[in-house]
Amino acid sequence: MNFIDVNSVVKQYDGHLALDHVDLHVPQGCIYGLLGPNGAGKTSLIRIINRITRADSGSVFINGREMEQKDIANIGYLPEERGLYKKIKVADEIVYLARLKGMPKKIAVAEMEKWLERFNLTEWKGRKVEELSKGMQQKVQFITTVIHRPQLLIFDEPFSGFDPVNAEQLKREIMLLRDEGATILFSTHNMASVEEICEQITLINHSRVVLEGRVDDIKQSHKKNLFVVDVAGGKKVEAKDGLFKVVPDALKQGTVIKLDDGVMLRDAIAWLNDNYTLTGITEQLPSMNEIFIETVKQ
Amino acid sequence: MTLVGKKSFIVMTILIPFLILIVGCIPVLLSYINSTADTSVTRIAVIDETGRYSGALKDNDNYRFIRLSGQKVDNPHDFYIAADESIDAVMVIPSGVEESQQVNLYSEKTLGHNTLSYLSRCLDDTLQRAKIAAMGDPDLFTKMEQAQVNTQVKNIKWDEQGDEQEQSAGMASVIGMILAFLTYTFVLSYGAMIMNSVVEEKTNRIVEVIVSSCKPMELMMGKIIGVGLVGLTQFAIWVVLLSIGAALLGLVGGTSMAANPEAVTAGMNLPSGAEVSTLSEITTAIASINWFSLLGNFVIYFIGGYLLYASLFAGFGSAVDQASDSSQFTLPIILIMVIALYAGIACIDNPGGPMAEWCSIIPFTSPIVMMVRLPFDVPWWQLLLSIVLLYGTALLCIWISARIYRTGILLYGKKRSFKEVLKWVK
Repeated sequence: MNFIDVNSVVKQYDGHLALDHVDLHVPQGCIYGLLGPNGAGKTSLIRIINRITRADSGSVFINGREMEQKDIANIGYLPEERGLYKKIKVADEIVYLARLKGMPKKIAVAEMEKWLERFNLTEWKGRKVEELSKGMQQKVQFITTVIHRPQLLIFDEPFSGFDPVNAEQLKREIMLLRDEGATILFSTHNMASVEEICEQITLINHSRVVLEGRVDDIKQSHKKNLFVVDVAGGKKVEAKDGLFKVVPDALKQGTVIKLDDGVMLRDAIAWLNDNYTLTGITEQLPSMNEIFIETVKQ
Repeated sequence: MTLVGKKSFIVMTILIPFLILIVGCIPVLLSYINSTADTSVTRIAVIDETGRYSGALKDNDNYRFIRLSGQKVDNPHDFYIAADESIDAVMVIPSGVEESQQVNLYSEKTLGHNTLSYLSRCLDDTLQRAKIAAMGDPDLFTKMEQAQVNTQVKNIKWDEQGDEQEQSAGMASVIGMILAFLTYTFVLSYGAMIMNSVVEEKTNRIVEVIVSSCKPMELMMGKIIGVGLVGLTQFAIWVVLLSIGAALLGLVGGTSMAANPEAVTAGMNLPSGAEVSTLSEITTAIASINWFSLLGNFVIYFIGGYLLYASLFAGFGSAVDQASDSSQFTLPIILIMVIALYAGIACIDNPGGPMAEWCSIIPFTSPIVMMVRLPFDVPWWQLLLSIVLLYGTALLCIWISARIYRTGILLYGKKRSFKEVLKWVK
């Protein structure tokens, strides 16, 4: 069951086509990556989903029915450009934004205490936002995004501005929210984080969807017959005409070989066994980073 | 919510009435200081060559005259030196002063305007009598006094039953002008406040979070209504504090003012000879104004004008990234308001004239100009037309601004021209 269905959405600004018949199907309880280079149309799509702007044509369905204005109370949105009122106290800020999402004050206060505790920010509760470090402000912003327990969370570059320790904590929190049943749409160029946490992705380039599906499937379909070969005795594996070539890759421990077209893996293994003492061979799948660059360059 | 919590805002809310009171008291205080605190005595030697007029100069707390009647002094400076600082000035009344109407006052220090006018007042009366006496008719002076005329024109207004009511045009003008200034100051300062708040939310990027929780239109209207209510509350606090302050001041200062009315009027800079309304006249004038309809209409225009201008400030505020870039959009708005204020001032002289009528019907000027006209009776159809136009235009401005706002708050980067911004309305 899909939680969000975006069907053939078109959006035009001042003669510039920002979204060209874009489809997006996000299953319930999934961490879904929305990828694309700068200016591809990710933010435009996100703004249409959370009803900040309206699509010129096309539709957005939530939970199987057309989305309405009241549904935005069920969305948590962390924009790429973070923003908080700087001159008010942390506690007031969180409660105010929670109430804007329709949370009763008492519950908002109770939830705020819980979240501040979780992020070790309790002692900063009475301070003004501008007195906090950037990392702490990011945490406050994250709290304001999730405090009302929305079913859909939209994170636009959530890890930017976090140090590795905090990024790790944030990742854990995002996973936890997913486990509690939230659907997470996650826009980023950080491909490492995509590989780590996204189950499915859609890649947008030049206002169109150019790639979509499960991360594993995409990797499989983009594999290039590359294998990492380990041999005993520290010998160097040479290329063998008619079987494979050696691909230079400084990062890998062993040698990376690329099978020639039509060559079966077992033939290559047999030959390697005859000529070297083969201790291991693993298939090398392309990274999302490579797939991203390759797809966008096309 | 950020606004009301600010310390500076709370402090200003309480301080402003005191500032107004202090500013209001300054003329009275100054005149008081002038008339009583100045205890220094100016000693003037009067060399009266005619021997007839030095008696006209009367000693008082500030002036002492040393009369040297009939004496002739060749050089007033020598006389001054000889007096060895026992005098401050030397006055020479030359023979033939009746014709020349000029006397000279010599001194080392410049003597103030007050001194010169006092001396002139003293001499005028005596010289006039002398001239009249020289004409040979002993009763002429009395006749002239009897012939003096000072016509007062009283405006008596009929109410609907045809009963007569006294009206003071002066009082009505003053009230009208106060209302016009109130509208102008309030709309301008709170409009600017709204604009700053819009720009601030855009600059610190929180606006994207907020509009993912509510519609841009709701945010804009919430801001306008919120600031408006804050303003009205602040305003109400001022009125209460001011009336308390004025009442207290009246108790303390009332007695001293009553004892020294001349000083008060002098302090208020009224031209000499101006008719000073007595307390009872002011009271009748105030009572003659239909306060219920006046204040009712004031509130109607006030709200209409505020909505109109505040929405424009919000709409155009959303088009800029920084407060410093906003002047190209605020300038036209402020200009229109200043024109309205000047039109209002100009309409005081003729609140029923064509300019007043037009400006009080055109929606951009009517909230201010109509204030000037309100204390005088405005035909009901003009009032109705003007209110309908004002609210119609206010709604239109809100609609236009909402469309600009919707687009503007999410666009960053380059500075936008007026034309570009108006394109967003489509």
